[in-house]
Amino acid sequence: MEDIAIGARAASVRFWDSRVPQADTYHYLMRIAFVILLLLLQGTPARDDGQWTMPAKNNAATRYSGLSQITPANARRLHPVWNFSTGVLGGHEGQPLVVGSTMYVVTPFPNVLYAFDLTREGYPLKWKYRPEVNPAAVGIACCDAINRGAVYADGKIIYNLLDGHTVAVDAVTGSEVWKTQIADINQGETTPMAPFVAGNRVIVGPSGGEFGIYGWAKGLDLATGKILWTAHNMGPDSLLLARPGRGRYTADANIGVSTWEGDSWRRGGAPVWGWISYDPQLDLIYFGTGNPGPYNTEQRPGENKWTNSVLARRPGNGTLVWAYQFTPHDSWDFDSNAEMILVDLVVGGRLRKVLVHFDKNGFAYTLDRATGELLVAEPFANVTWAKRINRSTGLPVVDTAKTTGASRGNVTGICPSLEGGKSPASPSSYSPRTGLFYTATNNLCMNFEATPVTRIRGTPYIGATTPYFAGPGGNMGEFIAWDAVRGRRVWGIKEKFPVWSGSVVTAGDVVFFGTLDGWFKAANARTGKELWKFKVGSGVVGAPISFRGPDGKQYIAIYAGIGGDWFLLSGDVRSDDPADVRPPADFAPDLARHTSQGGVVWIFGL
Amino acid sequence: MGGVPASVRYPDHVAAGGNQPPAAELENPIASDSATVADGSRIFSMMNCDGCHGGGATGWVGPSLVDGRWRYGGTDGALFQSIFYGRPRGMPAYGGIMSPGAIWKVIDYIRAQPIPSVVPTQRWTSPETPRRPGRAQTP
Repeated sequence: MEDIAIGARAASVRFWDSRVPQADTYHYLMRIAFVILLLLLQGTPARDDGQWTMPAKNNAATRYSGLSQITPANARRLHPVWNFSTGVLGGHEGQPLVVGSTMYVVTPFPNVLYAFDLTREGYPLKWKYRPEVNPAAVGIACCDAINRGAVYADGKIIYNLLDGHTVAVDAVTGSEVWKTQIADINQGETTPMAPFVAGNRVIVGPSGGEFGIYGWAKGLDLATGKILWTAHNMGPDSLLLARPGRGRYTADANIGVSTWEGDSWRRGGAPVWGWISYDPQLDLIYFGTGNPGPYNTEQRPGENKWTNSVLARRPGNGTLVWAYQFTPHDSWDFDSNAEMILVDLVVGGRLRKVLVHFDKNGFAYTLDRATGELLVAEPFANVTWAKRINRSTGLPVVDTAKTTGASRGNVTGICPSLEGGKSPASPSSYSPRTGLFYTATNNLCMNFEATPVTRIRGTPYIGATTPYFAGPGGNMGEFIAWDAVRGRRVWGIKEKFPVWSGSVVTAGDVVFFGTLDGWFKAANARTGKELWKFKVGSGVVGAPISFRGPDGKQYIAIYAGIGGDWFLLSGDVRSDDPADVRPPADFAPDLARHTSQGGVVWIFGL
Repeated sequence: MGGVPASVRYPDHVAAGGNQPPAAELENPIASDSATVADGSRIFSMMNCDGCHGGGATGWVGPSLVDGRWRYGGTDGALFQSIFYGRPRGMPAYGGIMSPGAIWKVIDYIRAQPIPSVVPTQRWTSPETPRRPGRAQTP
């Protein structure tokens, strides 16, 4: 396919339809009218179908629910209507699905899939699917044996098993339709991400940025599970599925090799463990890539493209159309796997099709999603590693005193920490009613001491010690509302611990999120006033959803179940293994006072 | 359960590569001294053990090796077999790439770490910083 494409530093390149015709007044006025019409339409979204069939609610990944029964005026009446122990202790990231009158829940390893009947009292199971998952995968997963959820399409529930398989299960019967091996745990690849469906392709990717993998995305046939394309994130253009010189892809030839030393790209990481979004009009999928490996920068000189980047690809055949790298030659483990939210915003007086991304590096980016042109980049968290992002070059202005490497010893006072100004595991939301983005943030800094490391297949490939401490103010987290046009924070709710949950915002102007110490909260989406909270039994690292039950009422669902990085970091939140007892984390010694592990699905209603 | 024989479903009985460990109890032939402990510490880092078990072997995605508690037995022989043959929840078999001598030095290093005394009670006595929760902050 001949692709319309723009290169790495797209700021100076203009896309054909982004220019306002100077001489044609009629078309100019029509364009203004169209902008006004779109803005009006954005204020009155189509009626919500009440379901939640894909990880981020829709192709644009807004996590916006059009349901409006729950409002700031009545949110204090929210109460639990149901809960269910998943029987699994690992970190419950991701979110349930609601398709028709069935709710689907995927657990962390061993990746049980539950189907609950919402039409019956107590929501009993219709079925559960218990796949065989190789337990060796648990030790290959960098940061707890989590799973980020399933997607529904074509009558099937599709999700990834930790051990490198994608499965499709009949949504009605629970029978396995197909199962495909997509990754190899012996290479350090595991697969906790939520698959995404664009047209008749299932898009998947691996974790393993800490295991020296050779990162990729794959497109599977929705009907059969057959792998139709594999696109690597670095290496020669033939493996990147990039075609410089054809169409408008203007990056240098083989930039995925020339920005690395030797063959270090072969073990350079760039995992795909976050979220995927899709613009059907442009026919582009968007996803972020993770850190380069190892953490010791001196073993991989160069910009290391396309690690820590957003890639825009054709879902049909994987062709790379444009890419933009947020953190070249990453020195701090600033993965860019966070969601790319697709919205239309007026930037610089013009309606733009944009992509909004909150990066681990602490900057929030607004890019033109047709071209990759950088429009806005402002810090949403406390940032010390860079002074700013140069809008014309698209490059960060790095404070070289914060650059790390084995010969540089212990580099202190780096903010954000490698947990990110925001974790990609905590997807944000966007309300077309308020025009605001809502996101969890972390206020952590770190010291970073890199060491040389050897690649041993299937073992960690890291090479750094990175202790954390709280950033300015002492609160380790904050839930914020963000204006992506002006690049500024509108309001925030400070939290004692890092905020690690996703969010959902509704047409009732209520936004929901959870905290590591186990509160599930509702806030006024316009003002940030906290409206309601409930203690859900374990820290929240999942993402809430909103759906309409068979009784016509609006409900909110959320997982409790601390884990993910907090399985590693908090030390003493597990109680199931008498052979593994750890002291509390020095930077958050009180966390286990409020939570321990344990997965529970909660549903709340009025 | 890819790679694991269908007849073997209980993790404790599974050895990586399908090999069963020798039945006899092994003894560490390398006497521990500061030199072997220092070597073991370097090997522990060099072979990426710290990537899973954490710096100082205090635990990360893999369990702590310095808390005095063991899933698969804590004798020198059991430790050797865990490292040489691997264990089913992600511990790779290092027998192919580490010499027995190097494995014994890593064991010397682990053995040299202080084991905290068992204190079953964890108590929080210091008050946490009081704070008014949920206040909106508007710049």
